[in-house]
Amino acid sequence: MNRVMRLGVRRGVAEFATLLRDRKELWGNIGATVLIFAAIVLWIGDGEIGDTGVSVGTYITAGMIAMIVFQVGLVSLPMMIAADKEEGALLRLRTVPGGFAAFLIGRGVSMLLLTAVQVVMVLVLGILLGGASLPSSIAGWLTLLWVLVLGLLAVVPLGAALGALMPSQKSAGAVLALPAMGLMMVSGVFFPVRVLPEAVQWVAQVFPLYWQGHGIRAAILPDAVLSTEIGETWRLFETAGVLGVWLVAGMVLAPRLLRRTTRGAVGTRPSFGS
Amino acid sequence: MDTVIDIRGLQMTYGTREVLRGVDLQVARGETVALLGPNGAGKTTTVEILEGVRRRSAGEVSVLGVDPWHGDDKWRNSLGVVLQNWRDHPRWRVADLLDLIGAHYTNPWDTGELLRALGLSAQAKAVIGTLSGGQRRRFDVALGIVGRPELLFLDEPTTGFDPEARREFHDLVAELDATIMLTTHDLAEAERLADRIAVLLGGTIAVVGTADDLAREVQAQSTVLWQGGREETHDPSQLAWELHQKYDGPVPGLEIRRPTLEESYLNLVERSAA
Repeated sequence: MNRVMRLGVRRGVAEFATLLRDRKELWGNIGATVLIFAAIVLWIGDGEIGDTGVSVGTYITAGMIAMIVFQVGLVSLPMMIAADKEEGALLRLRTVPGGFAAFLIGRGVSMLLLTAVQVVMVLVLGILLGGASLPSSIAGWLTLLWVLVLGLLAVVPLGAALGALMPSQKSAGAVLALPAMGLMMVSGVFFPVRVLPEAVQWVAQVFPLYWQGHGIRAAILPDAVLSTEIGETWRLFETAGVLGVWLVAGMVLAPRLLRRTTRGAVGTRPSFGS
Repeated sequence: MDTVIDIRGLQMTYGTREVLRGVDLQVARGETVALLGPNGAGKTTTVEILEGVRRRSAGEVSVLGVDPWHGDDKWRNSLGVVLQNWRDHPRWRVADLLDLIGAHYTNPWDTGELLRALGLSAQAKAVIGTLSGGQRRRFDVALGIVGRPELLFLDEPTTGFDPEARREFHDLVAELDATIMLTTHDLAEAERLADRIAVLLGGTIAVVGTADDLAREVQAQSTVLWQGGREETHDPSQLAWELHQKYDGPVPGLEIRRPTLEESYLNLVERSAA
């Protein structure tokens, strides 16, 4: 591991520890998600998805995990980067040797840790309260792992690019919350996407959230639920393809936008009146 | 002369607004140069170009022998930057951030030693967002010098300081073994810290030199006072000699008031505006 990578990992772990120490951040990033999930499972978790024999609690456990990955990458991360920009952290790190590369690696690491903690908590609560179960085969575990990793990689660069475009943390929250909510409604997170009109199903399949959810459902739900999926089959090849396209798009966009941001073209300085 | 900063014909345009119209300035190793100018004169733009975070429109710039826009990590290793109004990393602990930023440099200060030198030992475990204004500014200085820079940029470093904190800061800067480029609105600070003062007016360096050079440039007059008399003159020594002859000995109540840097500076700014 080279020096910048080591510094980035160290930074990411420190950032995550900082988040754990801050009650407000802890609640905003982890507590609220977990509590809302628990409330939903307790409220409607006993129901059944069609006549598949799969409980709503099990179904939404998979959906919630997908939502966490999506939200961490495309809502939390842009807001954090917008705050970093607003507070002057990006500019400071631009003046430090290896600072910006370490910053990006660090953000990736802290997002990974944040996702991991939330996923584990939701999975545990899903098992305890919603009747969900862990993958029953090695193939299931591997699917869960690669979908989580690729799902996160698909949204992190894009989230960084979005953060670079946002003038402030507040505006990032305002701009991103509504589309995220809309995608949550149409992407089959809390109910099967097939109950929605076909045109909406096509729209949902353009975005990563649907595929993150589909991949995770493939890993932890029984095949009985396939009747509720588009095409009535687990489309893991397509899952990898669409998430891969989002990853490439993010990798192309993010460095350009972030470089522009840190070099002042977008405005990084707390004040540069002269 | 070992030139650390060499600026020739520097121009900068934002859209149609021409901020710098041909700045020329050389700074020798070990020198402290203060860049003065009214709001909007282009001080921060100049410094940002020198730091490599802003791309110039035209002109030649060399900082430590390197074009700052193409400066690499090795070059950044020799720079220190203390910018104005930083609010970054508010949830980090003082020692943690200083330690991490220090790790980016090849020969950093020991964290504990640096905090002691800046009177921040008691705040080592404090959360950065809880520091007072003066403590935060001293911490910014710590972050700026942690890599033992050859060249240090101080951008309005004592804004918001109380007089005691300002004096402590000046003592600290006087002890640093670095070439320093300082921007400030505090003329007393410039006079105290800088070997030379450069005044940026109308997008160019109007005057560069010591405070006395500045007074000569604007032809500011000294005031000669004696018992029963007062006269403004460009040549106070001549007048004092004439008075000595007139009184045929010591002149009662003789006092010579040279123009302050503030008077010279304001004179220059008014002349430029006219």
